[in-house]
Amino acid sequence: MKKISLFIIIVFISFVSFSQNADSAWLVNNYTKMERYITMRDGVRLFTSIYTPKDKTEKHPILMTRTPYSCAPYGESNWIDFWNSYEMAYFKEGYTIVIQDVRGRWMSEDEFVNVRPFNAAKKTKKDIDEASDTYDTIDWLVKNISNNNGNVGVFGISYPGFYSTMAAASNHPALKAVSPQAPVTNWFIGDDFHHNGVFFQMDAFDFYAALGFGFGQPHTKPTSVPARSVGYPVHDNYKFFLENGSLKNLTKYTGDTIAFWKDLMSHPNYDAWWKARDARNATKNLQPAMLWVGGQFDAEDCWGAWNAYKAAEQNNPGKEFNKIVEGPWYHTQWSNHDGTHHGNIQFGSNTSEYYQQHFEIPFFNYFLKGKGDISQIAEANIFLTGANEWKTFSQWPPSNKEDKTMYLQPGGKLDWLKPTAGNSFSEYTSDPGKPVPYEEFVHFNRTRTYMSDDQRFAARRPDVLVFQTDTLTNDVTITGNVTADLVTSISSTDADFVMKVIDVFPDNLGYNNVNIYAEKDPQKIDPMGGYQMLVRAEIMRGKFRNSLENPEPFTPDKITEVKWELPDVAHTFLKGHRIMIQIQSSWFPLADRNPQKFMDIYKADDSDFQKANIRIYHDASNQSKIILPVLKN
Amino acid sequence: MKINLLAIACLLNTYVLCQESPDPGFVRENYTKMDTNIPMRDGIKLYTVIYMPKNESEKYPFLMERTPYSSAPYGENNYAGRIGPNTNLMKEEYIFVYQDVRGRYMSEGVNLEVTPFIPGKKNAKEVDESSDTYDTVDWLLKNIKNNNGRVGLYGISYPGFYATACLPDAHPAIKAVSPQAPVTDEFIGDDANHNGAFFLLDNFDFMNYFGKERSGPIKDYGSQVFAVKTPDVFNFFLNLGPLKNTQSPKYFNRRSYIWNEYLQHDTYDHYWKSRNIRPYLKNIQVPVMVIGGWFDAEDLFGALHTYEAIEQQSPLNNNYLVMGPWTHGAWAGSVWDKFGTYNYTTNINKYFQDSLETKFFNYYLKDKGNFNASEATVFETGTNEWRHFNKWPPANIIYTEYYTGSNKNLSSEKKINQSGFEEYVSDPGNPVPYTNGIYSHRNNEYMVEDQRFAESRKDVLAYETGTLNNDVTVAGKITADLFVSTTSTDADFVVKVIDVLPDNETSPGGASRDVTMAGYQRLVRAEVMRGKFRNNYENPEPFVPGKISEVKINLNDVCHTFKKGHKIMLQIQSSWFPLVDRNPQKFMRIPDAHEKDFQKATIRIYHDTDHVSKIILPVLQQ
Repeated sequence: MKKISLFIIIVFISFVSFSQNADSAWLVNNYTKMERYITMRDGVRLFTSIYTPKDKTEKHPILMTRTPYSCAPYGESNWIDFWNSYEMAYFKEGYTIVIQDVRGRWMSEDEFVNVRPFNAAKKTKKDIDEASDTYDTIDWLVKNISNNNGNVGVFGISYPGFYSTMAAASNHPALKAVSPQAPVTNWFIGDDFHHNGVFFQMDAFDFYAALGFGFGQPHTKPTSVPARSVGYPVHDNYKFFLENGSLKNLTKYTGDTIAFWKDLMSHPNYDAWWKARDARNATKNLQPAMLWVGGQFDAEDCWGAWNAYKAAEQNNPGKEFNKIVEGPWYHTQWSNHDGTHHGNIQFGSNTSEYYQQHFEIPFFNYFLKGKGDISQIAEANIFLTGANEWKTFSQWPPSNKEDKTMYLQPGGKLDWLKPTAGNSFSEYTSDPGKPVPYEEFVHFNRTRTYMSDDQRFAARRPDVLVFQTDTLTNDVTITGNVTADLVTSISSTDADFVMKVIDVFPDNLGYNNVNIYAEKDPQKIDPMGGYQMLVRAEIMRGKFRNSLENPEPFTPDKITEVKWELPDVAHTFLKGHRIMIQIQSSWFPLADRNPQKFMDIYKADDSDFQKANIRIYHDASNQSKIILPVLKN
Repeated sequence: MKINLLAIACLLNTYVLCQESPDPGFVRENYTKMDTNIPMRDGIKLYTVIYMPKNESEKYPFLMERTPYSSAPYGENNYAGRIGPNTNLMKEEYIFVYQDVRGRYMSEGVNLEVTPFIPGKKNAKEVDESSDTYDTVDWLLKNIKNNNGRVGLYGISYPGFYATACLPDAHPAIKAVSPQAPVTDEFIGDDANHNGAFFLLDNFDFMNYFGKERSGPIKDYGSQVFAVKTPDVFNFFLNLGPLKNTQSPKYFNRRSYIWNEYLQHDTYDHYWKSRNIRPYLKNIQVPVMVIGGWFDAEDLFGALHTYEAIEQQSPLNNNYLVMGPWTHGAWAGSVWDKFGTYNYTTNINKYFQDSLETKFFNYYLKDKGNFNASEATVFETGTNEWRHFNKWPPANIIYTEYYTGSNKNLSSEKKINQSGFEEYVSDPGNPVPYTNGIYSHRNNEYMVEDQRFAESRKDVLAYETGTLNNDVTVAGKITADLFVSTTSTDADFVVKVIDVLPDNETSPGGASRDVTMAGYQRLVRAEVMRGKFRNNYENPEPFVPGKISEVKINLNDVCHTFKKGHKIMLQIQSSWFPLVDRNPQKFMRIPDAHEKDFQKATIRIYHDTDHVSKIILPVLQQ
């Protein structure tokens, strides 16, 4: 959510005037920029930036992004620096590129509504939603942009991904192709601000209040000036959130003005309010060709890409073109130039460039220009990390995957065999005063690499449990959802559980001929030998274990099953590696702390936070396990 | 003592610190090299390499380094790229002498670990490093032409010890000695042990090379005792298990004589006491300049305590101390302007080499120029400035007690009617790492590293002052005085004094790993105490489970300013792994411990009125 704003705004503000090159001269000579207010059915006008080709020898398609992050720079002589982006390819193809400020943001009129619910049964002109705004915009464009070929595409990443999903639901007949990318889909279950009901306080606070150019500040009239953000008094995020204490205290910083923050705080459970804001509601009867795009290491909307695709698949049986691309990427990485690595993990090729040339550009060219061939785009086009190769599948998860169970064993072992011991468990104390950090080092901002970063720092803590297999004698490829299924007991009435699935590299592994035994590490390159690469992690707030709608307390010390699904993954644990899992009860300050007392956590006081002893059982009658979606050869 | 890395790398000509020579042909062009065996009083011959200036228009003093790390390159046609303590002195021209000490490399005889000094020698069979130096000096004066009758000695680390060792009963021609990071007491504070706690990581690495036996003079010891490579020493040593497993066939297997001695002598017995040279530094007449590094992970203790022993027992001697913001031996390189997240902005080494080291030897050995250094030339970290004192520790310090209290509080105001304690579980199965990050070797920056990774653990206690309203400069020794109890019979105690940077401290651009400097917890000084030695290093005593005991820990000196706006933090923990081996937390001979002997213990640190744990800081009065 946040990254896109920083990304776009930084690009807009700082690069526009500075980076000129041959492409920039070409663009300015061959395109015209227009700014228009387009009137919606209810009379509200949306500010729209239009870049059209001067060429009149053929008719051109329209490619649009609708954004809450501004179509800046404003002014018809001020241009976005498309020449620094792969998107230059669309200009060379003669597309008309449209960027629109969504309702209530920046230069557009009216009030902004976060993740505005989709209204499937609009009755009057007053019943608007993002789908109707898109419909009205497309309608205006095809009628007013001279020389257009009547074909419109929409794409966008992150929040603009959400608007892409909503655009698809407009079903305007001119809309032929839509690519929602890392689309914000469900903010309670898996995207941005909550995972399984656990509040991702750092991202939310950054986005709505502290950073993010004051996204949550009220929009009283159209403006080109960013709102003020409150900033951080403490530039150490672990310390800031820990010393801040309960979420109530965080609300003091946001003040009264950030309405959506108050909304978040007043909907602690998955209620009707949240359900209305599930973008999957808008995935029925989709007419355009759909290409869903996501990053497996996307810290913001990893869940949304997989699950919006799945919903569209389920809701549109037999639909000809509803496909997905998933690469090894941080949020937005596929639109950047460098897709060779994520953090310390190398991919052996430029996966971003491959994506742009192999999937996205051919997709729009085919559906909007009738040009080229798309036979290379399979139903599911997935980069398999570990093996470092693109794989295609005719369905997702693949038909030839088999859910296989691995059991936690005494002595920190993980095995396909069931445990046989009687009364065996591992135990730790989870102390909200000393939560487990989500990252090894202390930062000001959330890192974009934590989802693949080395977990050895956590393995060394007394409040993190580690279970691992022997060295693998064959490759193990997993494709789909991993399920964590823990048998626990806790000494209190609530607790969080974080399951981390980790690829342990062999001790002799190294990248790029870096001598990891050098006396002085060259610029602190991480020793990759023994690296514990995070493959997938997910948190579960214990009280939601049976229902996100109706939380239930734990009975202290009573054996209880906690089962949850981790977002999809596509990874090969190579022969010679090990599969490891780590279990912990905090993930700070990424996730807010559970007071470990059953209550509405948004109303917790500092005094409610208490230590809890957590047991994870691994004996013959209480089998904790993970279920791996193993791809059969 | 880990100078082996430095020394060995030097020999291979790969280490930046030593290979740097503005003109690689300089030595060959200006010096004549002689390799010779010098007989000692007991008939043993020591291999000695002598570089003599070709210019014979004047007489020169000798400047000698005695080393266990080889005087290579061997052979009169093979020249070192750089000779002497620094390049100024090389260009000044001295007769530079390198000698393999007794029992090492090309010298005959038997090597003893940190050779004990023999006071009042009775016959020619009683030899030590003092007599070997004496005999060598005697031979040099008589056999090397064109000498001016004066000799200086210097050396870093183990060679620092050999420099110190010439001082008792010194040959009268010895006129200047500079022990630099000298190995001094291997049980109390240098290299092998700190307060009886075994420095596993360094010892294991070093003795794999240094403890290898030889059958006679040898140019090259060949491979190490055993081959071991790991990307992650924390994991390696945790998996290795108890100390006794180091003697398994895969590792030392009793093939390293010094390793055997280390495991045998687990208390401050005669073995260690006889290797402590400090009692013999009495009535020293020779001018001495001791050099040490505040961030020397090996022999910081040795530098401070060699200076102190001479000062106390030879009060009239010209005895100088130089303490800089260096790691082990870093003062010998050409440039030192930053370390960790410290940025000194100027080249510290240029000042040291030009204004101190060169002038010291020139003055006392050549009567050239003058030498008017202060008694103590000390770099103040935090403000990053050199300070000059006529006494070390400075006269104008007040030992100020900072008391621990509830709610993480550390305060110089003693609270009355305070009660309580903090507690943690120390689990040898899950020891506290000494460093954050993954290393295949000791992280040389651990002494200045950010301690936030430790504070977030449940087995680390942290206490901090409020934001300081004024600069607080601490100059001298730090003492921790803890009141503790444990549920078992032994435990280690690590105390860490930390400078906490302000919450809005800006991070310099380009910082690796993008770590935020806001709230950075910079380690200023830390030390470990093996609990059973709290009252006595010779006779360890168990703890009585649950009973409050006092544990006093001496920390090495600092000269550091906690700036206004910062905070002073104290952290306490019971492991520091794998820097220090794990205490099984059971009173016993730890080298004999089995895996099953290692047990968890609940440790309390008290702050009640009668048992208030505290640190005592030497606060400089400005």
